[in-house]
Amino acid sequence: MNTPFEPLIDDEYNDSPGKRTLDVILRKRRSGRRAVGYYCAYAPSELIRAMDAIPVSLCAYSESTIAAAEQVLPANLCPLIKSSYGFITTDTCPFFALSDAVIAETTCDGKKKMFELISHIKPMHVMDLPQLPDEPEAEPAWAGMIRKLKGFLERTFATTISDARIEAEIRVTNRKNHLMGRIFAYAARQPSVISWSELYDVISIADAYDPIELEELIEELVAKLERRVASGLGLGAPGAPRVLVGGCPVGGDSTKVLRILEQAGGVVVALDACSGMKRFSMAIEEGTADPFEALARAYLTIPCSCMSPNTRRLEHLDRMIERYRPDVIVDVVLQACHAYNIESSRIRERAQKQHGLPFLKIETDYATADVERIRTRVEALFESR
Amino acid sequence: MTTAGIDIGSRTIALLAWDGQRALDATVVDTGPDPLATCRGLLRGRSFERVVATGYGRHLIAERGLADAVITEIKAHALGARQLSPDVRTVLDIGGQDSKVIQVRADGAPLDFEMNDRCAAGTGRFLESMARTLGLAVEAFGGHALEAEGEAVTLSSMCTVFAESEVVSLIGRGEDSRRVALGIHQAIVTRISAMVRRVGLREPFFFAGGVARNPCVCRLLADRLGLIPWVPPEPQTVGALGAALWAAMQAGAAPSGSDGFAKMP
Repeated sequence: MNTPFEPLIDDEYNDSPGKRTLDVILRKRRSGRRAVGYYCAYAPSELIRAMDAIPVSLCAYSESTIAAAEQVLPANLCPLIKSSYGFITTDTCPFFALSDAVIAETTCDGKKKMFELISHIKPMHVMDLPQLPDEPEAEPAWAGMIRKLKGFLERTFATTISDARIEAEIRVTNRKNHLMGRIFAYAARQPSVISWSELYDVISIADAYDPIELEELIEELVAKLERRVASGLGLGAPGAPRVLVGGCPVGGDSTKVLRILEQAGGVVVALDACSGMKRFSMAIEEGTADPFEALARAYLTIPCSCMSPNTRRLEHLDRMIERYRPDVIVDVVLQACHAYNIESSRIRERAQKQHGLPFLKIETDYATADVERIRTRVEALFESR
Repeated sequence: MTTAGIDIGSRTIALLAWDGQRALDATVVDTGPDPLATCRGLLRGRSFERVVATGYGRHLIAERGLADAVITEIKAHALGARQLSPDVRTVLDIGGQDSKVIQVRADGAPLDFEMNDRCAAGTGRFLESMARTLGLAVEAFGGHALEAEGEAVTLSSMCTVFAESEVVSLIGRGEDSRRVALGIHQAIVTRISAMVRRVGLREPFFFAGGVARNPCVCRLLADRLGLIPWVPPEPQTVGALGAALWAAMQAGAAPSGSDGFAKMP
């Protein structure tokens, strides 16, 4: 983007932030640490860290692996699932390659069935995610699944995970989320002084860093961001529309949407999906009698569209709007993601009726064919302010 | 002062000259394989204070210096429709390759919109293809359908490719061509009506684009939506009119009165 600022994280990885994260993980692997891959925000990373392993987010965002995936998977399937699968069959995801085990969840039909097809490649544990989060049975069921995950990790890695370690990692998550919140605050400023790609850089490293490393990085970045604030400069032209982008996860090739928003003169101030800020907004209760129940309670508040009813997403959207003060709301729906697609009408209603904000749903995949179609809609959205 | 709007669509390119009060002239030509060359041809020998481009080719034309600014076809149609029908609240545009519905605020600015531009179903391309299958000129297609006696022959496919083979087999079965034509029109109007209702239908209801010249589409839309669409005399130049108006507003010769776009840069 056209930014008036010097790079936020200034190192040799400026052009390849994915490699930065990869090298951090590889360095830790060399010192004997294990790595456990995951696909989704519902994977409780506290258990992975409690046995001193590194949680690793797996590849899911490239058009390049979809053709290979379609040799087995139907074409009319979510690109995120197709891409994830293609990365594994073509053995091109370095994060999967270095993972010693993989955690998966039954968030949607497509993922659930795709996981069956890759379950023989690495030790894989599928967690049965309750999808009626308001029912009294949901919490004990999910707590039970988290206990089962502990059993899986202990068996696979011949180790034991104590409740005290889990409790300690709950505190680490809360600490990390607080630190990330300090960075996100600079996007909430008017004008924002941190771009969406810089937000992604910090988000992508957050898992791989231990809390002390993260704390050091955040202090350094906050100092830089404060200098940006002091300079009086900000992102975007005066009056540029501030954009909240929510819906399906966005990364890699689907960041075309974020680029188009920027090219049309917008400033992305909030990345609301699981790939962005959503998973850092969780607070886990500390010092409870049962850390598994505390984890279950917290994780079930993640407002994914696989939940029914997903009223938490509407309440979460209200809070995001209050914090980030967007001028427009963009809902990204990946092709064939029925849950987010159907839910989009409720997000539209909330944005337009309750907040009086222009709203645009963008249904897309990882290909570039629809870039100009998206551009017309985005330009019209900004014109309608 | 004279400004121009140029609307680069998939099938036609429209150029409209505006003198600050009224349209001086409007030209509609086939887009052809090279829209840039077609635009150059249209603009050759003419001079305008300001040219604004709209339509899918807008950025290309502006980058090559043929236009001073661009606006989307959404905004262009909202502006153009409002000039022709000052209280307009809903604008439907069905062009050669896309269709769109725009809900217009009381002050004239577009409030919400929906576009179909991914597939030919619900666009002029669908009607064109079906007319050709029935051996009719697209201009005569609507009139032919309106001559049908009795029930329409229902079409089950909406995909242009599948619908074409369905029409072929219906004709082969000896179905009356006019009743098949009526069924084809019903299919497209059903699809368009759903899109109109999703965005929200309010009066006055303005209908632009080449397909607005089809009397059967107009009749069926009125039946289904319970509201008679108003079709301007030149439905294919509404986008170009909006672009020319925007050029005039930017050049400081906006028509008087409150305007939803006045604060736009």
